[in-house]
Amino acid sequence: MKKKIIAALNEKARAIERLAKGEEKTAAALGGPPAMPQGCTTIFDTGWETNPRPTYPIGNCQASARDFHGCAGDCWWPAQVPDGLTNHSDFDVACPNIARDWRNLKYE
Amino acid sequence: MTATYAWSDHRIFEAGTGPDARVLLFGTDHASLFALDGSARDVLARWRGRESVDLRDASSPDREVLEALRDALVLVPASPQRRPAPAPIDPAEIPLATLVLEVAQACNLRCAYCYAGGGSYGGESRLMHPEVARRAARRLVESSGDRQLVTLVLFGGEPLLNVPALRAAVLEAEAAASEAGKQLVVSLTTNGTRFTPTLLDFLREHRVGITVSIDGPPEIHDANRRYAGGRDRRTYADVVKGLALLRTHMPKPPAARVTLTPAQWSRIPEVFRHVLDLGFLEVGIAPVSPVTAALLPTTEQDAALFTGFALLAAQFRQAAAAGRVLPFSNLLDLLARLHVGSVKSSPCGAGLGYLAADAEGRFFLCHRLAGEDEFQVGNLDAGIDHAKIRVCLANQAASRAQACRACWARSLCAGGCHYENHLREARLGQPPGGSCDFIRRWLEVGICVFADLCRDPGNPVFAFLGRRADG
Repeated sequence: MKKKIIAALNEKARAIERLAKGEEKTAAALGGPPAMPQGCTTIFDTGWETNPRPTYPIGNCQASARDFHGCAGDCWWPAQVPDGLTNHSDFDVACPNIARDWRNLKYE
Repeated sequence: MTATYAWSDHRIFEAGTGPDARVLLFGTDHASLFALDGSARDVLARWRGRESVDLRDASSPDREVLEALRDALVLVPASPQRRPAPAPIDPAEIPLATLVLEVAQACNLRCAYCYAGGGSYGGESRLMHPEVARRAARRLVESSGDRQLVTLVLFGGEPLLNVPALRAAVLEAEAAASEAGKQLVVSLTTNGTRFTPTLLDFLREHRVGITVSIDGPPEIHDANRRYAGGRDRRTYADVVKGLALLRTHMPKPPAARVTLTPAQWSRIPEVFRHVLDLGFLEVGIAPVSPVTAALLPTTEQDAALFTGFALLAAQFRQAAAAGRVLPFSNLLDLLARLHVGSVKSSPCGAGLGYLAADAEGRFFLCHRLAGEDEFQVGNLDAGIDHAKIRVCLANQAASRAQACRACWARSLCAGGCHYENHLREARLGQPPGGSCDFIRRWLEVGICVFADLCRDPGNPVFAFLGRRADG
């Protein structure tokens, strides 16, 4: 077996590792949601209002996080994301970080 | 997809030598700890100097390592926007967890290095009235919000000089905690010369945790810890007698608190061994605070302090290899925090859930700052002055903010002891940062010991550290 390039030693490092692998479902892995103001801007403005909730997509601004779930849930936002109605009901497990992990989504 | 990254703050340590050599990476923002293999170290060395890293520029083997570093949050997306500083913690939103009662601002000892001016914290020696003790104890429980656990600390001076207030505080805190459905922990720090069977029975019945101040073998202990009223009145023999009495009455051995002056720092390992052999549960060693310029250490003395602590850390490592825990409190606390990876945004709880009350019921940021008007933050009548706490903490942080921002250890240290900094800077006119070098070297020792423990993930020491981190 190939030796690991980087091995996590403490619990925080293991949480970061799980987060990267997508095994950890929430940002709580890093000690709870980051302490940021709740609420958000009214326009799509990816900035510091990072999604503090334990839901995907972690790290996006709240406005975009809300839109994202609007696509997969109640579908009020007309955009294409893998959603609960097609064959990717658990897309967030395979794809915790959309920007990085989208290749993991295999449509059949 | 983002391909351009920047380095987040981190520190590389080369731990061990020969076949035991390891390269460790400590991530500052998350207090995460990783071990790197040889290839990762080489790639890191090649790329670390670059301000930004574009993964598309990297060769395939380099990219593999850089991607692993990205997954470890060592490389983070380069963002043109600066993250705003996190909102400061609001003391008013943090319920009280611990109240230290200076039940006796008086002492039967006159330790040469005392930071409390013979126990009185300035002014006349005085005792807390039992009614003040009762009100303070109740205030602790009432101010504890939704916390399930509250801690009452009986302190002085020598708290056993005021048994009426001590009893009043314990009984009232128990009653108040029981009414509120909360759990109460009581602890007591004493010089060990005033135990009586009746008193020990009371402390046992109320499950009071005891810490005894003792500084080592007779010549080291008696060099500084003498009775009031004469330099020739030594205390070591009486403390040992007190310990014998304590053993017959208490179910659990006490913890030891050792204070050493710079001239004694070269004898740390023998002091530790001596105190441990007296039957203490664990031993914590405090380098004395420089209450006068005479107690400021020289460079050589600082080096001796580090050597002493490092020797104890090496002994800890040996004991741990055999599955045993060497009860050196300073290291245990550090390892427990490293084990979890807990991050500090404030150096301690002073003013943030932790307060001290003096004999008159005035609140102070912490027990060591009692009597310093600058750090008085309300009183029993007017309540806790959160605005003043905010000012105190902001003032304390201001002079070191810049140095901390650039320091890899900031998430483990967050600026160091307020009292120690106050003494060095406000009283003695030293530049800020006098303890930084020692703190960083000590943290590095802890990181290396922890990484060494990780060679055997099944070591029972981890379970111990986990329990300690949970409190």
